[in-house]
Amino acid sequence: MSKAVLVDTTKCMGCRACQVSCKQWNGLKAEETYLEGRKTGYQNPPTLSSKTFTMVTFKELEAPEAPGKMKWVFAKRQCMHCNEPACASACPVTALRKTPEGPVTYDDAKCMGCRYCVWACPFGIPTADWDSLAPRIRKCEMCFDRITGNLTPSELNEKPATGEFKKEFDESQKLPACVKTCAPGALKFGDRDALIAEGWSRIKASPSKYYSHIYGEKEVGGTSFLYLASVPFEKLGFRTDLGDTAIPHYSKIALEAVGPAVIGLGGLLAGIYLVNRRKEQIKNETNKGKKE
Amino acid sequence: MHYEIAKGKLFNGKGAFLLALMAAGAIAFVTRFVFGLGATTNLSDNYPWGLWIVFDLVWIALAGGAFATAGLVYVFMGERFHGLARPAVWMGLLSYSFVCVTLIVDLGLPWHFWQLGVQRPEHSAMYEVSWCIALYVTILALEFAPTLFERFGWDKLKDLWRKWSPIYTVVALGLFVFLMSHKLWLAGIALVVFAIIVYLTRNSAKDIGVPVILIIAAVTFSTMHQSSLGSLFLLMPDKLSPLWWSPLMSVLFFLSAVASGFALVMLMDMAISYYFKRPYNWEMLASFGKVLCGALSVYYGLRIIDVIVRGKIGLAFSSGTGALFLVEIIVGGILPIVLLSSAALRNKKSVLVFSTVIALLGVIFNRMNVVLLGMTLPGTMPGGLVGRYHPSIIEWAVSISLIAAAIFLFAVGAKLLPILPKVDTQETPSA
Repeated sequence: MSKAVLVDTTKCMGCRACQVSCKQWNGLKAEETYLEGRKTGYQNPPTLSSKTFTMVTFKELEAPEAPGKMKWVFAKRQCMHCNEPACASACPVTALRKTPEGPVTYDDAKCMGCRYCVWACPFGIPTADWDSLAPRIRKCEMCFDRITGNLTPSELNEKPATGEFKKEFDESQKLPACVKTCAPGALKFGDRDALIAEGWSRIKASPSKYYSHIYGEKEVGGTSFLYLASVPFEKLGFRTDLGDTAIPHYSKIALEAVGPAVIGLGGLLAGIYLVNRRKEQIKNETNKGKKE
Repeated sequence: MHYEIAKGKLFNGKGAFLLALMAAGAIAFVTRFVFGLGATTNLSDNYPWGLWIVFDLVWIALAGGAFATAGLVYVFMGERFHGLARPAVWMGLLSYSFVCVTLIVDLGLPWHFWQLGVQRPEHSAMYEVSWCIALYVTILALEFAPTLFERFGWDKLKDLWRKWSPIYTVVALGLFVFLMSHKLWLAGIALVVFAIIVYLTRNSAKDIGVPVILIIAAVTFSTMHQSSLGSLFLLMPDKLSPLWWSPLMSVLFFLSAVASGFALVMLMDMAISYYFKRPYNWEMLASFGKVLCGALSVYYGLRIIDVIVRGKIGLAFSSGTGALFLVEIIVGGILPIVLLSSAALRNKKSVLVFSTVIALLGVIFNRMNVVLLGMTLPGTMPGGLVGRYHPSIIEWAVSISLIAAAIFLFAVGAKLLPILPKVDTQETPSA
């Protein structure tokens, strides 16, 4: 079953604990950042980078019902983990791939550093380690190691961790680090289908609170990060111009044609050559005949 | 067709200038690997590809002259242009080799290059291009090999080449079909079809001097990677302006490579005459201009129809990038087509040179537009903070020095090997 994360931005309080836990779990270095002033307000760091896999965007929007007629809207951003990722389709060495579990993972032992993934991604996610002499691609992997690994020790509090206890402990740990740490419960990890159903039931339960759309349900063929919001998604800085077609579909037809085209074109050229050759021969023979 | 070694001195002022550029490039090359990509280039997460990729795309399009001319001469029996085939192949071999050098410079982790040989991605245009170019370079080398055999009198090697190069070519084509389709049965069909072609054309080495399967493979591989360079951008419908992005990009890239390849071969022939003080072949070039006119008409015809059918032509007059599109189409396409279509005009030297140059620039401009100018980059998430990109001095130095190296080595080759057609026998058909 493909896993996903439901991000309910209406519950996010902008504490950025997810940013911190992400750095801790992935062993990412700190980065010197600065406030971009009018462009991004309190948002810090301004964008994702090879040292920052997730960040919370800060938008201050007009809200007539709110005191002061303004309200903050926060959104945790990271790799969307597309169902059919453009980056994985671009990758010539399968360093990026969509796992059956849901995360889009990256293997730096395969990567040549061509950065086609960076171009191809519609969300601007993959980043390169530009400071390094070996600039790997870096991005969120939805803590693939956490959600598929065994995080439960054999013994806990001097008791063997088995049975119900182990199961409970497993369930509490086999989550992406950001989800594990999210205090207001804005993040929820689970099966994608179940989370979509839950998203819609939340929207239906409080139609005045939610904008009636789950971002990521259908965008670019669906993603494994799903978003709920109180405002239209473009106000949160989400791209709403991407359409529902998975990006790899655009190049699939052209690339599938290559094999048959090689055979067809080769045959065609050989035919043209043979016909032209024959014409030349006939011409030469008639010329000879005339001379004689 | 008889060939000769070029006369004249190699190490004149021009040669020294090229060597100086190459030395600067060598320093830039070392600098890039000592200090890393981030420190020596202005590439970033917002602009992950820059000058080097534009250079590669432009250069491969121009080097399309090698396959287009070889195909024209040997498959379509364009006997008049026979003298251009060997220089074009030599130019192609050098160009593709240096494109590979640029790619290695541009790759972040080039020492993982061998992964292309062991991984099997499903629909990656980059994978297709990499394999196709690698195989095409071997075909170019085989096309060029007889020049060496003739020069050094290696008759035994020539016999081996005649016998084994068709077999290698069939295997290469079969392998390529398998890698692209992942289907053994399709690769089997390819092997059978190409083996039959080799059998049917078994006299071609005697008739035209080269096993025609080499030329067929050269045209086929070129068609595939030229078009796949266009397919690279099919994944970016959200970034590239619809004036350039089209489901037909692959076909358009191929057609424009044929046109710009012809244009480059014409300019190359003029440059050879100038550099080695040989007589200019204006008559032949003018009739080649007609071929170029045809290639341009097919390309720009499809290009314009495509934009109109997709209903995006309005953007040419309303969007910010519309002016770029209009310049590309009108100056790079319509103008040279009009000039070259008239026999009186294309027989005027100045008009012929001018139209060839602007036709070439038109395709160069197209590649620049596709990679950089027509792109609206959203920037790294959450976006909105995309600055400008100017290539760094290291980027310029590497690219310019590789062009200098290609020109210099072309001249060295022409000086040492029988590449250029014999001047006095040019008008007589090949023996």
